[in-house]
Amino acid sequence: MRYLAKRTLSRRTMLRGAGGLAIALPWLEIMGEGRTARAGGAATRFVTVYTPGGSVIDNGAGDNRWRPTGTETDFQLSPILAPLEPVKNKLIVVDGLEMRSAVGEQHQAGIIAWLTGTTQAAGGGYAQGPSIDQVIANRIGDGNPIRSLQMAVRWGTGKSHGLLHPINAANYEDNATFDPIPPRLDPQQMFDNLFGTLDPSQAGEAALRIERKKSILDFVDRRFEGLSQTLSAYDKAKIDQHLTKIRELEAALDNMVSSSEICAVPEHVDTSGYNPTTGLDSSDNGSIVDTSTDEAIPIVGRFMIDMLVMALACEITSVASFQWTDTEAKHTFPWLGLDQHHHFYQHDGNFRPVECEQIYTWYSEQHAYLLQSMDEVDLGGHTLLDESVVFFGSELAQPPSHSKANMPFLLAGGGGGMRGGRFLRHEGIADPSHNNLLVSILNLFGDPTDVFGDPAYCSGPIGDLT
Amino acid sequence: MVVVVGHKLGVATLLAVVGCYAGRGDLAGGDDEPTAGEDGGDDGDTPAPRACATEGDVYAVRAPLRRLTRLEYNNTVRDLLGDDTFPGNAFPAEEIGNGFGNDADAQSVSSLLAEQYSTVAEDIATRATETPAKLGLLAECAGDVSESTASEVETACAFALIEDLAARAYRRPLRPGEADELLDLQQAIRQEATFAESIAAVVAALLQSPDFLYRVEVGVIDEDGRRRPSGHEMATRLSYLFWGTMPDSDLFAAADSGELVTDEGVRAQAERLLADPRSRTMVRFFFDNLLPISALSALERDETRYPEYTAAIGALMREETQTFLEHEIFEGPGTWPDALTAPYTFVNAELAAYYGIEGVTGEEFRKVDLDTSQRLGLLTQAGVVSGTIHSNETNPVTRGSFVAQKLMCRQIPLPSGDVLAEVKPPDPDSGATARERYAQHSEDPVCAGCHSLMDPIGLAFENYDAIGRWRDTENGVAIDASGQVPGIEGTTTTPIELVQAIAAQPQTHECFAKHWANFAYGQTLGEEAECVTEGLQVQFAEAGYDIQTLLLNLTASDAFLYLPDEAAGGGQ
Repeated sequence: MRYLAKRTLSRRTMLRGAGGLAIALPWLEIMGEGRTARAGGAATRFVTVYTPGGSVIDNGAGDNRWRPTGTETDFQLSPILAPLEPVKNKLIVVDGLEMRSAVGEQHQAGIIAWLTGTTQAAGGGYAQGPSIDQVIANRIGDGNPIRSLQMAVRWGTGKSHGLLHPINAANYEDNATFDPIPPRLDPQQMFDNLFGTLDPSQAGEAALRIERKKSILDFVDRRFEGLSQTLSAYDKAKIDQHLTKIRELEAALDNMVSSSEICAVPEHVDTSGYNPTTGLDSSDNGSIVDTSTDEAIPIVGRFMIDMLVMALACEITSVASFQWTDTEAKHTFPWLGLDQHHHFYQHDGNFRPVECEQIYTWYSEQHAYLLQSMDEVDLGGHTLLDESVVFFGSELAQPPSHSKANMPFLLAGGGGGMRGGRFLRHEGIADPSHNNLLVSILNLFGDPTDVFGDPAYCSGPIGDLT
Repeated sequence: MVVVVGHKLGVATLLAVVGCYAGRGDLAGGDDEPTAGEDGGDDGDTPAPRACATEGDVYAVRAPLRRLTRLEYNNTVRDLLGDDTFPGNAFPAEEIGNGFGNDADAQSVSSLLAEQYSTVAEDIATRATETPAKLGLLAECAGDVSESTASEVETACAFALIEDLAARAYRRPLRPGEADELLDLQQAIRQEATFAESIAAVVAALLQSPDFLYRVEVGVIDEDGRRRPSGHEMATRLSYLFWGTMPDSDLFAAADSGELVTDEGVRAQAERLLADPRSRTMVRFFFDNLLPISALSALERDETRYPEYTAAIGALMREETQTFLEHEIFEGPGTWPDALTAPYTFVNAELAAYYGIEGVTGEEFRKVDLDTSQRLGLLTQAGVVSGTIHSNETNPVTRGSFVAQKLMCRQIPLPSGDVLAEVKPPDPDSGATARERYAQHSEDPVCAGCHSLMDPIGLAFENYDAIGRWRDTENGVAIDASGQVPGIEGTTTTPIELVQAIAAQPQTHECFAKHWANFAYGQTLGEEAECVTEGLQVQFAEAGYDIQTLLLNLTASDAFLYLPDEAAGGGQ
């Protein structure tokens, strides 16, 4: 606690200068008691991690560079998954499932179906149902300042030009129109919004400022409420949706969390040189390269992971989605010595399995870092990872064919009684549709459902996670 | 009036068509109607007006609630509060929608956006009230408030400030109680905060109000019983269309005087706004989104192979195109076919040297005549021909696709699963010229169906290398720049002829008008707006494709002058 206060003070002094008026929403209070871990068997945290372009399921010479070898409990990780060795005992390699609900444009339908289990809306639209993280947030997200947290590194590349598009949206609201959710992109803004705290010597001032914010939001709330009553159904739905989000903010001010043994402000990282909105300058084919931003991807990625883990530990949120980019993946990898973009290696410049393997292996390293970080947060006899379910996936399996069979899925954690250290093959099962996996994940959170997404592609839980 | 709720996403229509065809595209944008081109018989004809042109009918299209885009938010807080820090850039990205990021149907509100509206508004409010001088800009009396100011004097000042600022923030006269509501907020905050902090709270509240963030249109009923935007709503329509910001004092005055509920009054203001240099910013914004020029300073090119290409040259290329268009539209002949075939461009010394044009000195751009055996018009400018290129090799598909899809509104689907699996860009060593390397596209019938709509356009631009310089040969082999504009009889032999053919195609101009209409009305106009779109296209043709006339006509169309019937609702 003292540690937290000290570091917080120095950071604020550095970032804000003397005035310090412009605080972000300080979800993390200095004063107060830490929350206690939740009781009960259901999983308490859900994390999704998106990486683009599947994996190397076939390197062109018939080798699967992703699939482990061995049996369910005695298996060797593949070259691509080898970096996950340190967390292997909390990992489930989920092989053999197919994203049958991914109907639509190749990449878009894939990222849409991944978490929603629905087909792409006609005419190149978005999802036709909520994403699983939003459904889970409905169960476990209330009472957290942020119901669900979406973040992305180097997002909005290529054809989406930095804007929200079916080509880059993975998360969908659980409302009538299943709106796509834009991720947070700016690591510094994220740091301020999640962990912005005040000089503890000015705790009284902080309370006043929160009160002021409440008064303003209360005014705004009434303006929206008043306007809503005058509008047609179509416009009213928009204004009401906005109002819902304002009410979330108001509720958050009553749900602030406190620092504790397990909840501390993560180390602040300098990310100058990284332009979070560089996607706005993108070209369709990736011909525009922002080298400075691309070089910073590893640093920004780790910083965001640190913030994600602490947001979960602090219960600022219980549901987090992390995207390493979008399905366009039109950025370079200078730290790997790869100066073309990922999509080029996937198929735009012929399928290049060697370069692709380099990229996917690097993603595995980063995923290992996330899982290890979660496993280092001690919740009293067990770790944050043990209470969590972490779902790692992509929009397709094999880049050149865009095949959605044998998806390279990973689960990790012990939430809801999930048992790690296993290699689950599903070869030859009657219904390998991945919607069934989404059902099983929901079950881990205590949701008894046996169908999720488009029922045409769902026959019930796959049933081997616990 | 048949009105339907549009699809959420404009891009949709570009991707949704199941097959390729060589006739006219479906310019109305509907994606479930068989395309006009399937009969192939009316190629090149101006579409005849349908049953649209009945005298007295009003084709009010949907007017879904529009939210300020980031660009508009930035401009508006600049004009409202003098804040020129581009604070709206902190908001999450808009949806791509109609290609201009202002598609009302695509806008949704995420938790992050609401959170950022709050944070950003508080930051702006703090800046706007941080000194007595700044407070004085909001209301003269506010700069003089001090600890010795009597409380009733201070309150009167707060009220005066609120009455003025709120009316400008809401872009309309305040309704009864609206100022009091804000004063209540100010007074409540003032209990435990300074005067400046209480005013900051008012500013922060205004910037989060729906009346500020959204362009609410209640409408008025005119003497013919038709529903149209009120004077202030029309002022807002006009100022955001031409200037991307809130109305200026002249527009407020015009709204107050009632002149904006007449077609003539709207026209007069539209002419004033378009003539004002501030309109140039929005025209630039439009072309930055229409053309592949917004980031030419960061093209990926091999330095050893193209030492001449630098970030500075890229920036100059973009400036060339924008300066050229601005001149062409506001001082030159000003038609879209003229822009596409202009025998001149703008360069400065550095860019002139890049092109090999002699006799240009200095940093300033100036008009030069082109060697029209090599260059003619917008599409042959270095930035436009290199902005569509992916790497060190030219690509006739991406060049052709840009012209066909973006400039001619042809819908060409992406390859479907089984075809895509076979797609491989050609090996650079597979042929000396792009025409050889991409031969499979015309030989293989699986490819040819769609590629015949793109490659013959792109191949005609092969005289321009990957950084937009002229070349006669590639790898020692003479370039065959023959091409064809799909839907036009015959072939062309040079890029110049191709550009002329594109400029001669009515479809090119219909497409241009359609983009402007989508941009102006903040949506992806579909079938239900067909009469409005066609009306604009026909008028555009009648005006000899004059661009300024088109921009003014955007404000003379029923889509701009009227609102849909109340029963149908603002959005429906």
